[in-house]
Amino acid sequence: MAESDTAVVTPPGAENAAVTAVVPGADPLVPTTRHPALLVVPLLVAGVAGLLVATMVLTDANAVVRLVLGGVALLALYLGLRIAGTAIWGPRFDLGLWLSLGWLALVIVSAAIADLLPLAESKNVSKTLGTPTLQRPDLFSEHPLGTDNQGLDILGGVIYGARVSLIIGIGAVLIGMTVGGTIGIAAGYFRGKLETVVNVLTDSMLAFPPLILLLGMVAVLEPSVRNVTIALALLNIPTYIRLSRANTLVYAQREFVLAARALGDRNRNIIFRELLPNVLLPVVSFAFLIVAVLIVAEASLSFLGLSVQRPNPTWGNMIAAGQDNFDDHPHLVFVPGAVLFLTVFAFNRVGDRARELWDTRQAKL
Amino acid sequence: MVRTIGLKLAHLVPVLFLVSLATFFMLELIPGDPAFTIAGPDATQEQYAEIRRELGLDRPVVERYVDWLGDTLTGNFGRSFFPPEQEVSTMIGQRLPVTLQITIMSIGMALLIAIPMALVVASRPGSILDRLTTAGAFGAISVPSFLAGLLLIFFFVFRQDVVRWVVLLAGLGLIAALMAPVPGKAATYPPGPHRRRYVTRSVVLALIGLAVLVGLFLTFPDFPRQGFSRITGDDGLRENLRSAFLPALTLAVIEAAVWMRLLRSDLIGTLQEDYVLAARAKGMPRWRILLKDALRPSSFSLITVVGVSIGRLLGGSIIVERIFNLPGIGTMMVQGITGKDFRVVQTGVLLIAVFYVVVNAVIDVSYSYLDPRIRRGRV
Repeated sequence: MAESDTAVVTPPGAENAAVTAVVPGADPLVPTTRHPALLVVPLLVAGVAGLLVATMVLTDANAVVRLVLGGVALLALYLGLRIAGTAIWGPRFDLGLWLSLGWLALVIVSAAIADLLPLAESKNVSKTLGTPTLQRPDLFSEHPLGTDNQGLDILGGVIYGARVSLIIGIGAVLIGMTVGGTIGIAAGYFRGKLETVVNVLTDSMLAFPPLILLLGMVAVLEPSVRNVTIALALLNIPTYIRLSRANTLVYAQREFVLAARALGDRNRNIIFRELLPNVLLPVVSFAFLIVAVLIVAEASLSFLGLSVQRPNPTWGNMIAAGQDNFDDHPHLVFVPGAVLFLTVFAFNRVGDRARELWDTRQAKL
Repeated sequence: MVRTIGLKLAHLVPVLFLVSLATFFMLELIPGDPAFTIAGPDATQEQYAEIRRELGLDRPVVERYVDWLGDTLTGNFGRSFFPPEQEVSTMIGQRLPVTLQITIMSIGMALLIAIPMALVVASRPGSILDRLTTAGAFGAISVPSFLAGLLLIFFFVFRQDVVRWVVLLAGLGLIAALMAPVPGKAATYPPGPHRRRYVTRSVVLALIGLAVLVGLFLTFPDFPRQGFSRITGDDGLRENLRSAFLPALTLAVIEAAVWMRLLRSDLIGTLQEDYVLAARAKGMPRWRILLKDALRPSSFSLITVVGVSIGRLLGGSIIVERIFNLPGIGTMMVQGITGKDFRVVQTGVLLIAVFYVVVNAVIDVSYSYLDPRIRRGRV
């Protein structure tokens, strides 16, 4: 009971440590020891060995056994790396963040050089007539992540799908940030009637539930990468207007802006030289989180069949195509699903950290 | 207070006006001739002219807008373009109950998951359980709802035995964890009737828990992969709940993760207050402090977020309705988009947007009613 007593009435300092969710080093899951190598080496060896056995040796065994073994091996690897990282770089080492960054780098690079990779056919059905359909994932075969019901390679589909998701997600955020940021700074700096009009417009844009607004837009647009990007950009412009306006309001009252104005500086110079450098960082730090939201939005549209169409693979339309026979062939849904989840998770994780680092105001919206 | 509500309502008018304008001009934005899009390439000139007249394309835009607004305000949404031709208001009347039921059920389920978990976790911040649930919630937020739905289908429908055993084992683990401190705590009572009563009560509670678990394990319900059974249908409430359970759970899981994180951090803050210290000093049991003293003042931001979620859930139910093939507003709209039945889409968008705006305004007003601190402030 002593433990719960201290938990309910905790001193303020300890409370802060508990509220901020990610405090590496204080994790009760990770044992602390004076000789980390004694723990790290066996954990890493066990992890690698477990993975090798699960993927290469037990190829004929039950899928559940292999999945469980692989999961345990990954956990051992994670704990080993985490203890090693904490021992080398100190308690603030955040393995999850580094893994997220690594995953994003992997996805972005493979999407960029997809055409150069030795991938099996993933788009053209007429070229896969000789390929066995519905092959299970087998990491050391021609189709590492299996094939779908038309013999198309899933790894290839996932990588080309990453291209679509990233272009749409990042492109829409860049457009939204540029347009929304400009309008927001102007509204926050000039105030007056401009601000009122902008406020009413953003309020009405935000009055639509996002998915509904998106459906309304794709109803009248042809589903192509360009149009979906524009629709998603329109979706996040109001968010960016609010964000940059709120940040501008903070700085427009400050002395250095007043000084610039007193010296007779032009509005344009004040905005670009005094305000923009201050507003940019907190606004940009939100971009990762918004990319995550937009990737989910695009995948949802694809899943509903309202975004980029087959034969061009996207994560959403691969999942939609796989759901018909995923009772017997779960990899059709879960492979693209896992890639989508990991990417969104990584963007969220990096975004959280970016906001901690760059958004000193903690986003009072 | 009256002034606050008045300001809110005044603010609603331009927003609703712009919403109506936007949905009206959705039809105008269709590239090319709408009549051609609607009737297809094989229609005759007369048919095109007929459709144009029906859409009023031969009249000025302003006049059409005013007419349309008048019709919409009186509940006349027009007819769908394609056979089976129906009054759009009839379609909505059939489909709205389904969407509303899923939305309301998912809010209830999310609260049932989020509140107890937040209470347990917030009473011991920093514990292993706290870290695991926080990490789990962070993961759940990154799962798109259609993926969550397919995962639930896979396990609850296709691999039902796995879920059954997991529920049984998790329940046994929970009972064991709750019962573990009982012998130690019993030793703190003096020998006599008090100790006997405490031990009997604990054992009876554990047995009831066991009975519920075994009963659930033996009669674990089969959930349908898709389809919907109305309450008013032949099979009654039981079938209705069975077909609505998985769709509602899909939406609830993700909302529950957000709500749990929110309520947890608010609760941790409240538990630092002096009156909680006073209650502890009086010797109040922990559960009583959590439920009676801490929960209510910690729930303001949760209430706001739940209100905002109603609109988001209406949107999210589109996807869930598609996965589970439910006859709701969402399926209607997706069919409308793929079939280019713009009037159906237009009405659906307008309806949900207006609903969303009004709900948000009500939440804003009720928030200031619930929390006296912001009652005097300007909106």
